[in-house]
Amino acid sequence: MYETGRLCVKIAGRDARQKCVIIEVLDDNFVMIDGQTRRRKCNIKHLEPLDKVLKLKKGASHSDVVSALKSEGIEVTERKTKTKKERIVKKRKAAGEIAEKTTEEPAKKEEPKAVKPAKETKKKAELKEKKKK
Amino acid sequence: MPEPRFRSRTYRRITKKLPGGDHVIHYAKRKPGVAKCAKCGASLKGIPRERPYKMQILGKSKKRNERPYGGNLCSKCSRQLIKKEARQ
Repeated sequence: MYETGRLCVKIAGRDARQKCVIIEVLDDNFVMIDGQTRRRKCNIKHLEPLDKVLKLKKGASHSDVVSALKSEGIEVTERKTKTKKERIVKKRKAAGEIAEKTTEEPAKKEEPKAVKPAKETKKKAELKEKKKK
Repeated sequence: MPEPRFRSRTYRRITKKLPGGDHVIHYAKRKPGVAKCAKCGASLKGIPRERPYKMQILGKSKKRNERPYGGNLCSKCSRQLIKKEARQ
């Protein structure tokens, strides 16, 4: 029943209720689908086969699938793909506003660090002042 | 003695542990019940149990499934319905 070109309806997931065509049979449980849904691997349990089989080659391209579906009266609306926005930091780096990190380690690290005196909290400082008074 | 309104169980009690090691009781309004499938009555997954003011903050996709009939029917019932539509 699940052969290449079989028209199906997806019944699970966010593409549910959308029509698709089987492009390739991967194994007993999985097939590749395309059409109104995204082009993806799909479990046959998530498909409801319809009575039509379209003439498509194994692994047909998306444009072939769209034209085949159009002949059946099923329109496929193209989803917008997200374009990656350039990060502001990169822009600023390119403009020279931010100095790029140098890979070389600074020479200061090699020197032994002087032991820092323990930081005094505000409360402790206040108590000390009171005692002095 | 707690305030009269906190003596009944209309508010739920939350025990908080303070940094000093003490335990105090905080009172909060109770959460609403679990969302149910409109057809079979099974509890819906992925829908938070929060008071309306918190649900307002959440995004749409965090309040329901991204499936047709998401947040209204369970997965089994929505599958049945979509199959029925497809076979007609």
